[in-house]
Amino acid sequence: MNDLDPQIEDGTGLRVAPALAEIKLSVAARTRPRPVWLGEVRYTLLSAATIIILLGLWALVTNLFHIPAMVLPSPQSILRHFRTMLLEGYAGHPLWEHVLVSVLRTLTGFSIGVTLAIPLGLWMGYSRTVNAILWPVFGFIRPIPPIAYIPLAILWFGIGEFSKVLLIFVASFNFTVLASAAGMRAVPEQLIRAGTNLGLSRWQMFVSVMLPAAMPQIFTGIKTSIAVSWAVMVAAELIAAQIGLGFIIEDAGTFFRTPEVMIGVAIIGAIGLVFEATVVAIERRVLHWQAKG
Amino acid sequence: MGRIIVDGVSKHYADRRGTPVRALDAVNLAIEEQEIACIVGPSGCGKSTLLNLIAGFDTPSTGEISVDGVQVRGAGPDRIVVFQSPSLFPWLTARENVILGPRKRGVPASRYEEDARTMLASVGLEHFASRYPYELSGGMRQRLQIARALVNHPRVLLMDEPFAALDFQNRLAMQELVMRLWSRIHPTIFFITHDVEEAIFLGDRVYVMTASPGRIKATITVPFAKPRSIEVVTSPGFVAIKDQVLRLIRGEFARSDRAAEQAGAERSG
Ligand SMILES: Nc1ncnc2c1ncn2[C@@H]1O[C@H](COP(=O)(O)OP(=O)(O)OP(=O)(O)O)[C@@H](O)[C@H]1O
Ligand SMILES: [Mg+2]
Repeated sequence: MNDLDPQIEDGTGLRVAPALAEIKLSVAARTRPRPVWLGEVRYTLLSAATIIILLGLWALVTNLFHIPAMVLPSPQSILRHFRTMLLEGYAGHPLWEHVLVSVLRTLTGFSIGVTLAIPLGLWMGYSRTVNAILWPVFGFIRPIPPIAYIPLAILWFGIGEFSKVLLIFVASFNFTVLASAAGMRAVPEQLIRAGTNLGLSRWQMFVSVMLPAAMPQIFTGIKTSIAVSWAVMVAAELIAAQIGLGFIIEDAGTFFRTPEVMIGVAIIGAIGLVFEATVVAIERRVLHWQAKG
Repeated sequence: MGRIIVDGVSKHYADRRGTPVRALDAVNLAIEEQEIACIVGPSGCGKSTLLNLIAGFDTPSTGEISVDGVQVRGAGPDRIVVFQSPSLFPWLTARENVILGPRKRGVPASRYEEDARTMLASVGLEHFASRYPYELSGGMRQRLQIARALVNHPRVLLMDEPFAALDFQNRLAMQELVMRLWSRIHPTIFFITHDVEEAIFLGDRVYVMTASPGRIKATITVPFAKPRSIEVVTSPGFVAIKDQVLRLIRGEFARSDRAAEQAGAERSG
């Protein structure tokens, strides 16, 4: 390139030869913002596509090859069994009763656990003395999977309702108590100072500053608790129950009734999702201020 | 109302290894009623430590602090702090933040609601009363903190680098706001800043502190009558004072750099 070559001034004020200028233009074209293809909807469509493809594969495989229904029933056979279950129930109880019993067991244990755990956890987080007294107990219990208590609960309290609710209670209590204590300890020093400065009494400080500030962690504890409670409920019903979703999958499994097992599992998953979504929705409302700083 | 006496106050901390840190050493101050006292000095010289002692968040190792002849014991709404870092309650709206103190202390609702309206209006937030702190800009949040402070009718306002995080224009506006509010309410103001111009514009006196141990190195009296308008910062008198303060601070920086170098040399040697 010499001074006699035609020169083009581009937007950056640099002089570039024509060939170079063309390359720059094409680069610019490629980095131009992509047209928004259907906007946000396209991600939903992609997710839907995954589901449809998986269902399609399942239908294809089960209908084209001779796969024993005991191993993998076809979608239409699942639907048929589901219809029968809806109409005739399972093991002498209507399907909704199985669902209701499981949900009630879970919610009973969960709500008693959470109701007792939040104040106790907050107290542990507030007072080092209380924490020192109680920590060894909860610190020891924390890493034990709640399912490990099932044999003990049956030995001590039998296979009745009390054992199951107790297990769920223990699970949700443990997670919530520790989360609440952690939340209390994590209240920003600056907010406590601001409260003291405004002349709040100890009780006012607790209610108006420390409790709301600990709310995010309390909610984390509640979210974990509801998920774990549901899991423990299923485990407890697997072992000893005459009714409930855990009973359905255990009973159906024993008699090689794979469609019923799969239906039970699907219902358990769906209700788990509903629980989680409910807690998240409440959390969004209560903790909207957490959106940003 | 609002006379602050700091009498021979020292504050010692122990660092992690247990070595004592002399954050403040025999500090004496007499801040008159309705005075604005500005504190400048290198980072770590104990400015916040001093403010926390006056606020009552902490107690002096030796010496005594009193406000209007009464020894400071603990924090209270007669000495309100405006913090640099976020200290608004994020779950309360602007209005709820402002009324929290008086409401919890049992002030009648009719009074604090009226006060809150006036205060929010005087910091220009009357249309943002039902916004949450996360919906406000940095400058608006600091104004809200000031409103939350003043609604308690404090005798003393303690401000710890309240505008350090703001941009230049916002900072100017805030300084004028403080001047305007002062001329209406006349609280005593203890104001920490890194900005020399801010210190001289606001302060009746500018205290220059030295580091390790934290001491008052010099006191400069600013002769301009309050309320001042922002034009004063370009006057020859102002520039001369600024020159003087800058020289004091520069000397102090050089000194603390030498101290740091020495400490480094000792450690590596
Ligand atoms: N709680 C504490 N424990 C131990 N040392 C502390 C504590 N608080 C402050 N210090 C020390 O005391 C000294 C003064 O701290 P201070 O926060 O008062 O400085 P400052 O002048 O406000 O600094 P800056 O301008 O950076 O805010 C520093 O050396 C600091 O490390
Ligand atoms: Mg500081």
